Amino acid sequence: MLIGFTVLAVSSIVFLLIHRLPGDALFSEKLRGHAYAELLHHYGLDQPLYTQYWNFVVGVVTRGDLGESLVNRGLKITPLVIRETAISAQVGGVALIFTVGLGIVLGVFAAIRQNTWIDYLLTTTSVIGYSMPNFVIAALLILVFGVWLQNVTQGTFFYQLGGWKGDIGQLWLPAFALGFPYASIVARLTRASMLEVIRQDYVRTARAKGLQESVILVRHALRNALIPVITILGPLVIGIITGSVVIENFFGIPGLGKEFAQSILNRDYAIVIGVFTMYAAMVGVANLLVDLAYVFIDPRIRYG
Amino acid sequence: MAAPVLQVRNLRTQFKTDGGLVRAVDDVSFDLYPGESLGIVGESGSGKSITALSILRLVPEPGQIVSGEIKFRNQDLMTASDEEIREIRGRDIAMIFQDPQSSLNPVLKTGFQIGEAMTAHKKATRHEAVQRTIELLKRVRIPAPERRAKDFPHQLSGGMRQRAMIAMGLANSPSIIIADEPTTALDVTVQAQILELLGDLNRELGTAIIMITHNMGVVAGLCQRLIVMYAGQIVEQGPVDEIFASPQHPYTWSLLKSMPRVDAVRHDRLRSIEGIAPDLLRPPAGCRFHPRCPFRVEKCLTDQPPLMQVKPDQMSACWVTMDRAREEMGAEGLTDISPGAASGLQPGKIIP
Amino acid sequence: MATAAAVVVAQELEPEQASLWSDAWRRLKRNRLALVASVYLALLVVVALVALVWTPYRMSAIGLAPTYSGPSAAHLLGVDELGRDILSRLMVGAQISLVVGVGTQLLVLAVGVPLGLIAGYYKGYLDTVLSFLINVFYGIPDVLLAMILVFILGPSLTNIIVAIVATRWMDMARLMRGQALSLREREFVEAGRAAGAKPLKMLFGHILPNALGPIIVQATFGIPSAILFEAFLSFLGVGVQPPTPSWGSMANEGVQAIQYAPHMVLAPSVALSLTLMAFNFLGDGLRDALDPRSRR
Repeated sequence: MLIGFTVLAVSSIVFLLIHRLPGDALFSEKLRGHAYAELLHHYGLDQPLYTQYWNFVVGVVTRGDLGESLVNRGLKITPLVIRETAISAQVGGVALIFTVGLGIVLGVFAAIRQNTWIDYLLTTTSVIGYSMPNFVIAALLILVFGVWLQNVTQGTFFYQLGGWKGDIGQLWLPAFALGFPYASIVARLTRASMLEVIRQDYVRTARAKGLQESVILVRHALRNALIPVITILGPLVIGIITGSVVIENFFGIPGLGKEFAQSILNRDYAIVIGVFTMYAAMVGVANLLVDLAYVFIDPRIRYG
Repeated sequence: MAAPVLQVRNLRTQFKTDGGLVRAVDDVSFDLYPGESLGIVGESGSGKSITALSILRLVPEPGQIVSGEIKFRNQDLMTASDEEIREIRGRDIAMIFQDPQSSLNPVLKTGFQIGEAMTAHKKATRHEAVQRTIELLKRVRIPAPERRAKDFPHQLSGGMRQRAMIAMGLANSPSIIIADEPTTALDVTVQAQILELLGDLNRELGTAIIMITHNMGVVAGLCQRLIVMYAGQIVEQGPVDEIFASPQHPYTWSLLKSMPRVDAVRHDRLRSIEGIAPDLLRPPAGCRFHPRCPFRVEKCLTDQPPLMQVKPDQMSACWVTMDRAREEMGAEGLTDISPGAASGLQPGKIIP
Repeated sequence: MATAAAVVVAQELEPEQASLWSDAWRRLKRNRLALVASVYLALLVVVALVALVWTPYRMSAIGLAPTYSGPSAAHLLGVDELGRDILSRLMVGAQISLVVGVGTQLLVLAVGVPLGLIAGYYKGYLDTVLSFLINVFYGIPDVLLAMILVFILGPSLTNIIVAIVATRWMDMARLMRGQALSLREREFVEAGRAAGAKPLKMLFGHILPNALGPIIVQATFGIPSAILFEAFLSFLGVGVQPPTPSWGSMANEGVQAIQYAPHMVLAPSVALSLTLMAFNFLGDGLRDALDPRSRR
């Protein structure tokens, strides 16, 4: 299974690369003639397609070398990508924790207070939550906190260009905007799942045993209710990854997403390929982890 | 005779549904003595399960215990606080359910779930619970208990799961075990084993057992006293031997008559009680069994019979009673037990 | 809506299906939120159609009022950084969103349904191939792939639709495959086969109609998903090109000026949010209505 997934991750990368390499050899038109040919040679672009591809794959797998930037000559891609991934991962990580944590808590809450005003409020809010594009949420947050309440926050929530200062205060706005739609989805799903689980016979047994209500909720109900939630964790992580592209551009966070958008506009295809490869690898790992978590949580799969 | 360990008085449990008010348990009263095994028999919808759930206040929404008193030793369970009830559940009164497959949590180890019953009531530390769990599993005759304790419910067979549930019920040596159709979901050979186990436990440990079932055969093998319920009410109660020998309520009588017997004459048709279970939203007027009763008289259509003492320790809710039915209507020789057949009152007609 | 389709397929369905549709219709009508959502969407379609022939101002006309000015009597939603009337642009943007939303789903249906149908019904080699493809595509972050596709193919509306379809077809295919897999085991399929029905008739006359419910729900949820996707792309600059207004690109422009001209970002944001919400509520309503196990 592990092998299968690594293969899948790699094959994803494989397919992507093959798609993109062909049409991409358009360079910025500024260079002509001899200089152009020289550049082509430098990057190995004058070689047949499959050779280029093979070299690339070998480079990645053996040396982790993703090549050089086409626009900023000499700029090695791999260190760049790694640096930016770290930044994106921080924002994404906070968003993920927020999403899953808040979503589950609210979902459980809505379930145990079913049909009360709390439930209706949470349910409606969650539909609104996943119906709004994350940049809209971001824009609204900026409006509220950045414009209308400016005295209070003094612009502290914007990411400071020039370096990551490790300050959570800078993170929360982008992370919130990134995570809120997904938190809503998680909340909805958790609620629905909890509602079903609470009606199960084994919950009745737990109550008949005289367990504390809180124990029943967490140990008996929630563990079972979370199984479907884990299932969507994979697509959720992918969603956060793609959402980060927008959010990073929005806030000017120098992460992977911003790099991606920028390189496409700059036509720096080498970077595009490099970033993409990184993304594909991240997705592959995420899927793998989710599958492992799934097996871990549901013993019926382990010992079926 | 010792004081009853459980006294149920005028219990009424109702469900508010879209269609109306369902009186699932309608004025039920009985006693349970220490160490005795009491059977509660009835069809689906007779209210037997809800009665049991009401004792521990486990009635699911939209049900509610409307009135009544349930005294466990000297404490009224209806007025006890949530915390007090929680302590009684699983410790003094334990309940085991019908389908062990769905009644055990699939993601937790079996042994853990049994141990939980003990640690929740502070009867044992985690470590002690593990030891005691294995002892309990041995007690309920599960082979290789150390390994089974570490298994998940889906890894066990149906019979083993039910035994595990029984072990869970016994964990804190409760005074009463309520068993809600514990054998219905199992196949016949396993049924017999479980019943034998329950009987042995009752005798050895002195734990009182309330056995809820729709199967008269189960009652015959296991119980000392019997309560027959119909449409939310008790229609007959008394010692099992006497009721089986001489049932006083037509419903009980019909139930016993419809049991296939090994020693029956071969050409006897298999008899069943005609009609269907009563609609609890609009129960019949008068005696609730009259639409299906072979011995009904005029009074049965209008007046609901209370539970009356018909013999020293047997009570029945019937205007006619089987003694009279035997003498005046030739009940024992009846081949046709359709409604009104013996009394001649609108014979064959199932009056709603 | 669903009833028209029901009439067409009624001949081919088992008797129970005819009442499934009327049942569902009845349940749907009782769902207030879905009704409100439908009304809103109907209005939106009307607005979009109207915009084909008339808008308060030409959507590309610049300098109609001092740039960045807010809502006024002449310009109900204000003007943007080039002095263009926001309301007019919003109306045209509605067209884009609707076309993208519905267009992508139609294509997704055209691609995903047959693929899923064949894979699920025939299983074997075809199924393995399709499943593998589906898994691979799932491993690719959709926005990224779409961005690249759009960039290679050029940012036209058609290409955007193609790009979105390329990243989202798997949901429909997987759904259809699942449906086909379970339906093929049902008795009426065996009966059909025994009666010698030709494969095409089996697929389209028997299996497909019974899977229509979940497919419709999936498509209904796919529309706001696609609209959101397009908004993302436009926001990032790889969507429809100026001067054609897309709600996403309008929001992008609006964000730059959020401090002094909040109406610029609010107008398209609210439009987007409301539209997406409406589709989601409608989808919820459809799903509850078509689910035979639902509470009421």
